[in-house]
Amino acid sequence: MRADDATLSSLMAAAQRGERDAYRVLLSESSRWLARFFSRKVPPGQVDDLVQDVLLSVHAKRASYDPMRPFLPWLAAIARYRWVDHLRRVYRLEEQALDDHDVSKDSEEEAVIARFSLDRLFARIPNNQVQAIELVKIQGLSIQEAANRCGQSESAIKVNIHRGLKKMSTLIEEAE
Amino acid sequence: MNRVNNELIEALADDLPPVRAMHFGEGMLLLGTAAGLTAVAVSMIYGLREAAFSGAASPYFYIVNGLLVLLGIASAASVISMALPRVGNRHDGPRWAMAMVGILPVAALISLFAEPSGLAAFPAHEWVCTTRGLAASLLTAGALFFWLRRGAPVSAKAAGLHLGVASGALGSAAYGLHCPIDGVAHLGILHIAPVLITALVGRFALPRLLRW
Repeated sequence: MRADDATLSSLMAAAQRGERDAYRVLLSESSRWLARFFSRKVPPGQVDDLVQDVLLSVHAKRASYDPMRPFLPWLAAIARYRWVDHLRRVYRLEEQALDDHDVSKDSEEEAVIARFSLDRLFARIPNNQVQAIELVKIQGLSIQEAANRCGQSESAIKVNIHRGLKKMSTLIEEAE
Repeated sequence: MNRVNNELIEALADDLPPVRAMHFGEGMLLLGTAAGLTAVAVSMIYGLREAAFSGAASPYFYIVNGLLVLLGIASAASVISMALPRVGNRHDGPRWAMAMVGILPVAALISLFAEPSGLAAFPAHEWVCTTRGLAASLLTAGALFFWLRRGAPVSAKAAGLHLGVASGALGSAAYGLHCPIDGVAHLGILHIAPVLITALVGRFALPRLLRW
């Protein structure tokens, strides 16, 4: 089943009333949608963790969904918020932690969804910041490898990641 | 979908008490209640200025307090909307309102420099209006903070800033219902100062409390 926005919206309204079956369907559909949404923007091994983070956020903040409005823009805002938070957390914990991750696999459908969503944030920040975030945070290169690849200094890579994430966090709702 | 996701979905569905969906109108009602109670508290504690209602106050009184109310409403509406996130929301309105209100202290300074005694003419002893304006902002700030904590703001810094501006502007305007002083320097600086102070507090102290 691929639910449309109107269906998801009515499922969420039912979930707010406490209807468990509707909620199961909603979370299952959201889980699939989120997996495609994140597929090219985090290493594959981290997609499930991120999807689960978003599902927990959806659960905790389900009252903040207004059933009079479309569902997917609400879900996308929460997904973007968790994505930026995730990138920030990974960077703070261990810069080299992403070194050995594979690059996400190609998929036409997934690419379309990803470009519709998260790339809109990238479109609003300078290219050198996008490059630094993509190389280190998404492709999983080390700071040094990213510096060698794109010609920026190591300190510039770090600064650009920091500034890019900071700027994107202010654009979560606006960039569409 | 993997097994972990299925287990998580089952666990979340099993723990599903009904919740009341948040609506923009409900947030505005909360804001109106908090601002109204603040105005009532000002009238009971300090009394209302009769000239303000008879039209006898100076034009500056109406201009400054009118702009503060508009700034407060614009910023509060933005805060209320931020608790209900969605891609496509924009929060530009308060920026323009802030810029307009920012002209007031500039005008006040220009008028002070035109005085023979210059900045010495600044009525610093009237600072009590700033502190009372700050006190009057607390109820609105609390209501908006409660609303944001219940919701899901995805831009904590902007939410904190707009909360600070909204509460400071509405608090200062509420105290303005009592303040009998009409001077440009007084209104343009001492009645705008609460907005600046609450904006700084909101921008730098609140984001960590608003992240989720």
